[in-house]
Amino acid sequence: MLVVVRAVRNIWIVFLKESIDNLRDRRSLFLALIYPVIGALLLGMLVSFVGGMFRGQGDSTLHLPVAGAERAPALISHLESKGVIIRPAPVDPRRAVRRGEADAVLVIPGGHAEKFAAQRTARLNMVVNATRLSTVIKVSRVVGLLRDYGREVGQQRLRAHGVDPGVAAPLEIRSTNVGRSRNLAGFFLNMLPPFIIFTIFVGGVYLAIDTTSGERERGSLEPLLANPVPRWQFMLGKAMATFAFTLTAVLVQLLAFKIMFEIVAAGEFGIKINPGLGAFIGVALLCLPLIGFAVALQIIVATVSRSYKETQTYLGLLPLLPSLPGMILVFVPVKAQIWMMAIPTFGQILLIGRLMRQETAVWLHIGVSVAATTLITTLLLAGAAHLYNRDRMLFGG
Amino acid sequence: MIEVRGLRKSFNKIEVLRGIDFTARNGEITGLIGPNGAGKTTTLRMLYTVLRPDGGQAFVDGHDANIERLTVQRRIGVLPDNRGLYPRLTAREHVRYFGRLHGLGGPELESRIDRLVERLGMEDFADRRSKGFSKGQTLKVALARALVHEPANVILDEPTNGLDIGSSRAVRELIREIRDQGRCVLFSSHIMGEVEALCDRVIVISDGLIVANGKPEELRQATGEGDLEDVFLATIRQAEAASPNAGGSTSRA
Repeated sequence: MLVVVRAVRNIWIVFLKESIDNLRDRRSLFLALIYPVIGALLLGMLVSFVGGMFRGQGDSTLHLPVAGAERAPALISHLESKGVIIRPAPVDPRRAVRRGEADAVLVIPGGHAEKFAAQRTARLNMVVNATRLSTVIKVSRVVGLLRDYGREVGQQRLRAHGVDPGVAAPLEIRSTNVGRSRNLAGFFLNMLPPFIIFTIFVGGVYLAIDTTSGERERGSLEPLLANPVPRWQFMLGKAMATFAFTLTAVLVQLLAFKIMFEIVAAGEFGIKINPGLGAFIGVALLCLPLIGFAVALQIIVATVSRSYKETQTYLGLLPLLPSLPGMILVFVPVKAQIWMMAIPTFGQILLIGRLMRQETAVWLHIGVSVAATTLITTLLLAGAAHLYNRDRMLFGG
Repeated sequence: MIEVRGLRKSFNKIEVLRGIDFTARNGEITGLIGPNGAGKTTTLRMLYTVLRPDGGQAFVDGHDANIERLTVQRRIGVLPDNRGLYPRLTAREHVRYFGRLHGLGGPELESRIDRLVERLGMEDFADRRSKGFSKGQTLKVALARALVHEPANVILDEPTNGLDIGSSRAVRELIREIRDQGRCVLFSSHIMGEVEALCDRVIVISDGLIVANGKPEELRQATGEGDLEDVFLATIRQAEAASPNAGGSTSRA
């Protein structure tokens, strides 16, 4: 029992020293806490920008320059009845669209009226610039209106000939979106896990480096190790300080995301995504074992590296690896399988996504993720303790 | 009391220590002298438990430094070759950190820190952060944190290295004071004047072997040299002549 009390006391002394030491390093601390906020800020700006773009084109009145409007008065009045404001076309429609002076121009060619009157197929030209993504929605709306008009006229003609219009329309296609949130919102929510994972792997990395490689390079490691404390207790005290500062960075980031969502949801961006506080607390709890995993990896790398600089290089690469599956998941969502939950980082990415999208999270999956990551973290810490016990701890390598 | 028996150590298959034996008694100052790369620092590192020997044993008050690490660590105060400080901690906080790691705390620890600050003349910088400390100030902090638990055995690796005359003298006075309290002092040096002025016993180490061991006057008689520096050079020359492995100075790992 006395041994346990002494161990806890020693770990606490080391933890306290490293924490106070790091709190006095104002610049590192500031940089470590500014990154998580910037992530939320960037995502918030993206959400408002894209949301604003979609909303502006989806709901607002549509202005459409038309060349040769006099050739199809019925079409024009149909468009106007759908709320489109018809404008005179520029002199050179192709040039105007290419230059971005107009998003799209409808050109009604000569001979349209005659063919239309003769009940033959009459051509319409849409001049568009497909490389300008911002016009895609507008163009598709106009094309949709034109198709509707064409189908209506076609059906009238068939009826006039005594034919059921259904004969000429063998398929009627309707799609039903069963995603609980809007698909655009879902896309942004999928971007959260990579941000959070990245913070987990960089949030306290400077502390892991400073307390191990830094301690060695400063020449303070040797006198420290001569104190009557088993080396694994030094390791654990340092790991816990790194853990605490990483957790702080993650919490700051989650708070920033929550605030960002509040602002976006309150604003007129057409996007109503705002995962509740419960989801954020769930994510924080899910992250705890993963933070331990990241810290243990950092300590191991810092222990076996030969210098501060070498450690920085390796640990700079470390966050890229776990972020990769998350980046891919933004674009290619996979079906969550239970074995995936046992992989640290990957399981958390899937589960954070589920919690944020407010889909029902499977408790078994959460349990497997927490248990597997905790177990692997414990093994890594045991490995780190072993490395601390080697002679080479003193010199690195 | 410190005893070393048949101590061996290799780095990357280069034998740095080739089996050394000596004893440093309580109430005596024992000086370990030898050229750079002779194995002084490696010997001390195994004594203060940061390296493990390949062969042989190192005892502190009868406890094996390799087996009873914690017991040995409680009985020694160490000023290693590396004596770096934490730039963002004050001098006093350094001493407090080590004191707490030795299980001390409360008013008892604080009064010990106060005594050390006074004894080592650290009043001017005791509450300043250590960034920018001079060599002398750094050494005083390193000494204070090594002595805060009042160890029975004190191991100092080149304690006056890089110090000015005034600071060196202060350190020498402190070492004598520790000896006069009946404690065991083992220190390494390559400055003959210092060894001459301080040591009750001199151990000359060269190329991983002990080539001479005795009181300064005994060594003078044995070699027929009047000056300890000449004694030192003579013993090393004799050892080199006798050993086929001679001259190969190994670098400090």
